[in-house]
Amino acid sequence: MSSHHTKLAGKDINGVFVDDTFAEAFGMSGTGIIITADTMKWAKIAAVTATGFGTSVIGCGAECGLDRELSPDETPDGRPGVRILIFGFSPDALIGQVKNRIGQCVLTSPGSACFSGLDAPLRIGLGKAPRFFGDGFQTAKKLGNSRYWRVPVMDGEFVIEETTGVTTDAVGGGNMLIVGTDRAGLLETTEAAVEAIAKIDDVITPFPGGIVRSGSKVGTKYAGMFASTNDAFCPTLRGATKSELTAGTLAVLEIVIDGLTSARVAEAMRVGLKAVTDIGAKKGVTRITAGNYGGKLGQHHYHLKDLI
Amino acid sequence: MSGLTFRLKAPATERLDLSALNPANLATLASHEIARLKVGMGRDALTVGDAFDISGTCGDEITIEGAGATLDHIGDGLESGTIRVIGNVGAYAGRKMKGGKVEIRGNAGNYLASCMSGGLIHVAGNAGNNLGGILSGDRFGMIGGIVVVEGNVGARAGDKMRRGTVIVRGKTGPVAGSRMIGGTIWAEGGFGVEPGLMMRRGTLIGSGVERLLPTFVDCGNHDLVIVRILSRYLKATLGDLAPKPMPLFVRKIAGDMATIGKGEILLPAA
Repeated sequence: MSSHHTKLAGKDINGVFVDDTFAEAFGMSGTGIIITADTMKWAKIAAVTATGFGTSVIGCGAECGLDRELSPDETPDGRPGVRILIFGFSPDALIGQVKNRIGQCVLTSPGSACFSGLDAPLRIGLGKAPRFFGDGFQTAKKLGNSRYWRVPVMDGEFVIEETTGVTTDAVGGGNMLIVGTDRAGLLETTEAAVEAIAKIDDVITPFPGGIVRSGSKVGTKYAGMFASTNDAFCPTLRGATKSELTAGTLAVLEIVIDGLTSARVAEAMRVGLKAVTDIGAKKGVTRITAGNYGGKLGQHHYHLKDLI
Repeated sequence: MSGLTFRLKAPATERLDLSALNPANLATLASHEIARLKVGMGRDALTVGDAFDISGTCGDEITIEGAGATLDHIGDGLESGTIRVIGNVGAYAGRKMKGGKVEIRGNAGNYLASCMSGGLIHVAGNAGNNLGGILSGDRFGMIGGIVVVEGNVGARAGDKMRRGTVIVRGKTGPVAGSRMIGGTIWAEGGFGVEPGLMMRRGTLIGSGVERLLPTFVDCGNHDLVIVRILSRYLKATLGDLAPKPMPLFVRKIAGDMATIGKGEILLPAA
C-alpha cells in the first residue's frame, strides 16, 4: 500500500510517534458464514481451509478470515462453530468465491455443517450450488425463513443453508504501518495488535497471521503488473530511494483490516493502535503510520489522530 | 386483554361458518355491522348477532367462548392477530391461514390447518382426520406454519403436505403423512399404522410406529445434524410447546419406495 505523507506532523504516545496521516480504505461487499463441526478443532480446520489463499482481493479473488468462535448456544445446530467473513468487490464476485470455497473446503471437511452468518436482505447462494453434489439424493428442509439442504456424504449428511446474507457497506483496506528498530520486538508488538483486533466482531485481518510484510505501492516499472514493493518503506533501500524511514529503522509491518461496517473497522484500528502504543516503545517500535493514496481512491479515510 | 369476545348463546343446531370472525376484518367494521355478518350456512343464514353475545372492543385478539363442534372455519384465512377459542371447534379451523395464531382450548374437527401457509395453531385437545390435508381443488395440503396438538390426531394427518411443521403430543391415526411432499410431522406418542403411504419427501419423527408399510426401508442408526437444527428451531420458536428433543441417534427409515423414496421416518435408535 502506497504511503504518501502529506505532513510530517504527528503526536508522541508513550514513546511511539503516531503520524498525522490516514488509512485509506475501499467500499467492498462482505458476507458471513457459520461453519460448525463435532468439535471446535474440526470447525476451525474447515474454517481455516475455506479462508485460505484469501489475503488480497486482487490476487486471490476474495479477502477472508475467521471472525470469531461460536459456542454451541450460538449455532443453529448446537455444535461448536466458527464465523468466517469473505470480502470481494461485489455481491456477484462473492458468489463464485463462496461456491468454490464452501464446495471444496467445507463440504469436504469431516462432520461439518454450514449456515448463513449474516442476517441481511441481500442474499447469495451458500448451499445453492454445493447441494448438487448430492446427485439427486439431496433433500431440503425449510424451517422458518431458512432452507437447509441435506447432502448425503460418507460420514453422514452435510447440512448447508441455502443462502447467506451480503452487505455492500463493507470496508476493505483499513490499515496501519508499524515501524521499529528491532525485528523481533516489532513482530511481537504487531502480533499483540492483531490479537486485540481479533476481539472486535465483524472484522478480519486477512494476511498471514494478520500481518503483511510486503506493503505495496500502486504501479511498477514492469508491464503487466499493477503493484510493486513499497520502496519508500523498505529499510534496505533507505539510502537508495526516496525513503520514508529514518536512520535506525530496521523493519516495517502492516496490519490490513476488512470489516462489515466502517464503524467496526475504525474500532479495530483504535484497539490496534492502542495495543501498539501500550507496549511498543519497550519493544523498539518507534512510529505508527498508515497507507493511503492521497485520499482520492478510497471512500473511507481513518485518521490516526481521531483513533488515539 | 383487549379484543372482542363472542359467547355462543346456545349450542348451535346448524353448522356455522366463522371465517368472517378474524381480528383484522372486524377492526374495519362497526359493532352493528359485526352483528350482521352471516355465519349460518342455510338459506335463512344466522348472523353473528343471532348466535353470539358480543362484548369487548376491537383489538388484535378475539375470543370465542362456548364453542362447539359445529363451528367451522375458525381462523380461515387468518393473516395476523390471535383467535382464542374456549371449547371445541368444528372442521376447517385455520384453513388457508397465513399468519397470526389460533388457540383452541378444546378439540378440533377434521381438516384442521388444511392448506395453511403460516402462523401457529395450538390445540389443547385432540384433532380430527386430515389435519393439514387437502380439499378437492387444492394442489397441496399444509404449505407452512406450525400446528401443535396436545392430544391425538385422526387419520391421514399431513396428506399432501408440502412444508411446515406439525407437532402431535399424542399419537397419530393411520396413514399419517400420506402423499406427503415435504414438511415435518413430529408425533411424540408415535404413529398409527402405515405412515407415509406414497410420500415423496418430508420427515415423520416419532417415538414409534404401529406398523410400517413394506415399501419403507431401514437405513440404520444415525446422528443427524438436521434433527438438532429442527429441535433448536422448534425450541426457539415455540418455547415450552416444543417437543422434547430426540435422542442423538435416530433410526432412519426411507420411503415410500413406491414413489421417489426421499421421505423418511425417524425413530429413536433401536
